[in-house]
Amino acid sequence: MDRASHLSVVVDLSPNHWYLSSTRTQQNARPLSLKSFLSQLLVFLNSHIACKDENTLAVFGALPGRSVMLHSSTNESSGNPFEMADADTYRPFKILDAEVMQTIARHVETLGPSDIKKPVELVGALSKSLCYINRITTASSTQSNEQTAALDPRILILSVSPDQSSSYIPIMNSIFAAQKLKVTIDICKVYGSESVFLQQAAHLTGGSYLHLERADALLQYLTMSFLPPPSIRQLLSVPTQDKIDFRAACFCHKRIVDIGFVCSVCLSIFCQPVPVCSTCRTKFPIKTLQRLNAARPTVATPATTPTVQTALSLPSSNSIKGTNVNGSQSTVQNGSR
Amino acid sequence: MPPRRLEPGYHDGESDSDVDIFDDFGASAKSKGKGKGKAIDRGKKEKGKGTSKEQPYAWEASYTRSWDTVQEDEAGSLQGAVEDLIARGRRRRLLAPAAAIRRTIIRHLILLLDLSSAMMDRDMRPTRFDLMLQYAREFVTEWFDQNPLGQIGVVGMRAGIGERLGEMTGNPQEVLKAISERHKLEPTGEPSLQNAIDMARSSTSHLPTHSSREILIIFGSLTTCDPGNIHETLAECVKDRIRISVVALAAEMKICRELCDKTGGQFGVALNEGHFKDLLFELIPPPAQRATAPNARGGATAPADLMMMGFPTRLPDTSPPSLCVCHSKLKSEGFLCPRCGAKVCDVPTDCDICGLMIVSSPHLARSYHHLFPVKTYQAVTDLDDTPNPSSSCHGCARPFKNAPQQMAGSSGEGMSPLGRYRCPDCHNDFCPECDVFVHDVVHCCPGCGK
Repeated sequence: MDRASHLSVVVDLSPNHWYLSSTRTQQNARPLSLKSFLSQLLVFLNSHIACKDENTLAVFGALPGRSVMLHSSTNESSGNPFEMADADTYRPFKILDAEVMQTIARHVETLGPSDIKKPVELVGALSKSLCYINRITTASSTQSNEQTAALDPRILILSVSPDQSSSYIPIMNSIFAAQKLKVTIDICKVYGSESVFLQQAAHLTGGSYLHLERADALLQYLTMSFLPPPSIRQLLSVPTQDKIDFRAACFCHKRIVDIGFVCSVCLSIFCQPVPVCSTCRTKFPIKTLQRLNAARPTVATPATTPTVQTALSLPSSNSIKGTNVNGSQSTVQNGSR
Repeated sequence: MPPRRLEPGYHDGESDSDVDIFDDFGASAKSKGKGKGKAIDRGKKEKGKGTSKEQPYAWEASYTRSWDTVQEDEAGSLQGAVEDLIARGRRRRLLAPAAAIRRTIIRHLILLLDLSSAMMDRDMRPTRFDLMLQYAREFVTEWFDQNPLGQIGVVGMRAGIGERLGEMTGNPQEVLKAISERHKLEPTGEPSLQNAIDMARSSTSHLPTHSSREILIIFGSLTTCDPGNIHETLAECVKDRIRISVVALAAEMKICRELCDKTGGQFGVALNEGHFKDLLFELIPPPAQRATAPNARGGATAPADLMMMGFPTRLPDTSPPSLCVCHSKLKSEGFLCPRCGAKVCDVPTDCDICGLMIVSSPHLARSYHHLFPVKTYQAVTDLDDTPNPSSSCHGCARPFKNAPQQMAGSSGEGMSPLGRYRCPDCHNDFCPECDVFVHDVVHCCPGCGK
């Protein structure tokens, strides 16, 4: 671990889902309460700043309807109110722990009953952490300081709440921004079902996605998988995701489709040919509809149909290109006619 | 070869490397005569233009020394100059329409490279040819980043003929491979615009109507050696709605200007290396479709269409190896076409067997930010009407300056003296860096999550 690394942690603090996580049910045999989660998280954060003196850290919280920065190691406010002389504690640990806990407490207290129902602002926290990484990386490149120039930024998202379909586009935009900044996004799904969006985030940025089987062993997962920076992790073979669903859901019925119909103007996806795009109100020519409807029987067949059958029921529409003629294609064409 | 018109109010003196970051957005809205980095090394230019010495040079009209326009402040720092650059980026963005506009998302571009002997000229370092290849590579990478559903083909013009270097493909690696081997592209002979455009036109003839057809010509020669009447070719291109853009490295030619004007493309003459890159990169963002401009823009009257697309199944690295249809190689990873079950190596592509367009959902999502841009933040000029102003930036938590800062001269418009920019939706304040970053990279406001 020669180079200093920056870690941004995004903590999902949804009260509803933390309550569910801490109650013991049939599915949730090993409950994890927010209190024990936070104490394990703090140990992890402390070990990150203890790994190397130059390591930097930022912690963001995603609360219902708002996102807050809980701690950052760069803007240390002078005259820190948390600063109490304690001979037994390493001072940076003390500051970090006190600041994170007090900021969470302050924000949770101000949550009103109306806020509870709102979805957590994961997008806001994620884009804030990107803004912060952008700030420290541009600052270090202008200062041309060797120590800070070699930052290896990464983001760790600790998620408990499920995907919200409304935040699909902003999440994807943040993922592409992270890709551009060469930021790795790691996902640790502490509670709840698999998150498709976050799986894609980890896959597209080269991070790892971990769904905890035993949530009470959180600290072990964190230190084994997420403490080493990505450059070292290649040697450690951290679990990666193999099955990532890249299929899309149609905008009309939210059905997962294999073959979709896409508006050329706004890229809305439909599961069947429609005369007017519901998103941008574009009217499609009647000729296209007829052509696509003629090609539809293939679409109607379920996705699980063996490939032989689909090949046989290939439509003889003009969607078969005549340009790339090779041996295999001519046989397929012959077979379909 | 008339001298190029300069914009009268143009303020000179940016250093070229610094402005690149602002060029990603709204560039299509700008006029083709945009002269950036006009203050160039004069001696070097004249050496390169020995053939046309009697012509009046455009830059003689407004020759300014770039180092004079950069003002140091009392402390000798260049902070003011840097902020001036940011201000200009902001203003440029304000010019771009804030509302969601219709853009050509599915693009098909033919990159037409001049491989005539004029490209061996050394007025751009190391040679025009090497520089063109280098920038073309960067262009292709960035182009695919912003137009993930687009396709690029490469055609070279040398020794009087058009030469197909790379087929139309949606895979950046294949395009890069086509222009990677320098020794195969060695410039020779005269270029022929007509032959090359005809070849490019024929390779776009099969494309569907909803996609844009574009030709980008990088032209270093001052002559063209055509077998017939090039105006007929031009008329054909107009008929086919092909948009031609030209980046000339030597000087303006009447026919090049006409090609661009009649087809709705952009024309520019590169003044120096940085400006060459700027001109190229201006063509990267998807062009806006303008319904109000008849026959001006290539894709203006192109009808909207419904496209059939397949979302493939991704095979993991651990699956048993099988042959792919594109390279006939034994591989374990790949994507299965949902219609015919063929295995292709990379998406987006058209299935080689059944011709279905195969995309993955992130490719579609990557284009969404062109369609739903973040609203432009408003500059906060005073805090009198804000009851409880935040002390730090909502994005990166950088503390704001308390005292208003004096803005240098005319650059102050559109800039906040407090360094605060407010989102019109969520009313959060952002610092100038985050303002630029949010609009250029993230495309998603940290305050309102849109």
